[in-house]
Amino acid sequence: MDLGLIVYALNLASIYALMAIGISILWSSVGIINMAHGATFAISGYAAWLVTGALKPVIAAAFGKTALASMVMAGALVGSAIVAGALCGVIIYLLAFLPIHDKPNYPVRALIITLGLNIATVQGLLWTFGPRNQGLPKIFGFGRWEVFGTRIRYDQAGTIIGAIIVLGLTLAWLRYSRRGLEIRAMMQNAEGAAYSGISRQITALPVLMLTGALAGMAAALLSQTIFVSPTSGVIPLVKGLTIALLGGLGSVAGAVIGAILVGFLEAIVGAIPFLGQRYVLFATFLFIIAVLIVRPRGIGGLLDDTRE
Amino acid sequence: MPELLEIRQLSAGYGPLRVLHEIDLTVREGERIGLVGLNGHGKTTLIRALTHMTGWQQGSIKLDGAEIGGTRSLGAGRRTPGLVKRGIGVAPQGDAIFPGLSVRKHLECGAHTRLAWRERKQRIERVFDIFPPLRPLEHALVGKLSGGERRMVSIGRMLMTEARLYLIDEPSLGLAPKISQRVMAALWDLSVSGAMIIAEQNVTLLTGHADRVIGMHAGRMRGDVGHVELG
Repeated sequence: MDLGLIVYALNLASIYALMAIGISILWSSVGIINMAHGATFAISGYAAWLVTGALKPVIAAAFGKTALASMVMAGALVGSAIVAGALCGVIIYLLAFLPIHDKPNYPVRALIITLGLNIATVQGLLWTFGPRNQGLPKIFGFGRWEVFGTRIRYDQAGTIIGAIIVLGLTLAWLRYSRRGLEIRAMMQNAEGAAYSGISRQITALPVLMLTGALAGMAAALLSQTIFVSPTSGVIPLVKGLTIALLGGLGSVAGAVIGAILVGFLEAIVGAIPFLGQRYVLFATFLFIIAVLIVRPRGIGGLLDDTRE
Repeated sequence: MPELLEIRQLSAGYGPLRVLHEIDLTVREGERIGLVGLNGHGKTTLIRALTHMTGWQQGSIKLDGAEIGGTRSLGAGRRTPGLVKRGIGVAPQGDAIFPGLSVRKHLECGAHTRLAWRERKQRIERVFDIFPPLRPLEHALVGKLSGGERRMVSIGRMLMTEARLYLIDEPSLGLAPKISQRVMAALWDLSVSGAMIIAEQNVTLLTGHADRVIGMHAGRMRGDVGHVELG
């Protein structure tokens, strides 16, 4: 396996991890399987496209073609995608959580509402922007590094590093902040959390905003490699959901390991001459199904050495 | 003594099932009440109804004179965090622990009001004084602890609230007799500013300590059993 393949695998893994962790945290703490995660992804991509498009002349006028200009552009792109993702989280909170969270069969209802939101968003984006792909400015620039004789593209390296930073910050926040403690308590035992005074109604909002922001970050990073389109959220949603399942819903570490495994699997299958790209999805799902047959609780079940 | 808790005509259940039938109960400040009865006769449901964790409920519950009951058909647990902040501390049946959190983080979870959070260090020390076996386990994951240690963590989390009303559901459930006696001894040694209700099947653990022992049968109060002499 050469270095280029490893970088490509890690590039895929970072996007998948950002999506899967959001889905996993949201399910185990708030109880929503968020089918609108793909919509959040697509909206964040379009928000970044709109904002960078509007700011391009402004930034060009203010900074010219300096390094500072591209840094401001990068900040605007990532920032707008994250903010849009968090706002989508607020909308999901208002539509798919607040009105139904104390009604019977709430998880199924939430699933249906978010699925509806997802379909409506894809159609709305098609209606507004048309089916054309939109390219976003390359915030990491064009070019490659020479590392040990292999060439690593800037966008791939940037995606991996960006994802690691964001995931590190998220995990640190969950681990060390008081709100993070509440979220983890709610993930592990909802009843115990209620008896400790932790309200799901209040805690759900930051969780939805956080997971939305993670999807926004994933959209900003993926926009460096592929174009933004109304249906661009579908594949990340499906991959995120299945990897969250593979990792064992509710296990953050499981989701990260699952994303890395699937990233490498896809990269390797794509590189094998007689299989190639068209067998990637096939191999991925075969792998996930095989793992879930052997370990129904996913990878998280292997990591978990405590008992309920 | 002023009345801390006043329950009038409280009925509660889950779906079509009615577990509690028009219960009346008054708890005065400083009282420790034992609630005895067989499995399935409503002890746990009464404790859950006080924190709105039942499927549905109706009837009046007054805590310190403020109405916290009322009729409700949906939304189990929706009001529970608010009631905990108002001064009800619960150690639920089966402990409801967080398996992946350490003992200290657990206790911090219990300190939810602003005052409790500010005082959390002193309060954690106090819990460690009450349950000395927890002190060396401060950073251990609760999911790896024994049943007795988990019970202490669960009760400790309740004590972090320094609530007006403590509700403890079956503190001896699933524990070896020696350990359940130790847990009960710690509970009786507590200085309670408000009141305490302990649901318990083993009457011998209550006699001599509880101010009143109330029997429950088929969802109704059987009046004060008094100090039942056994054996």
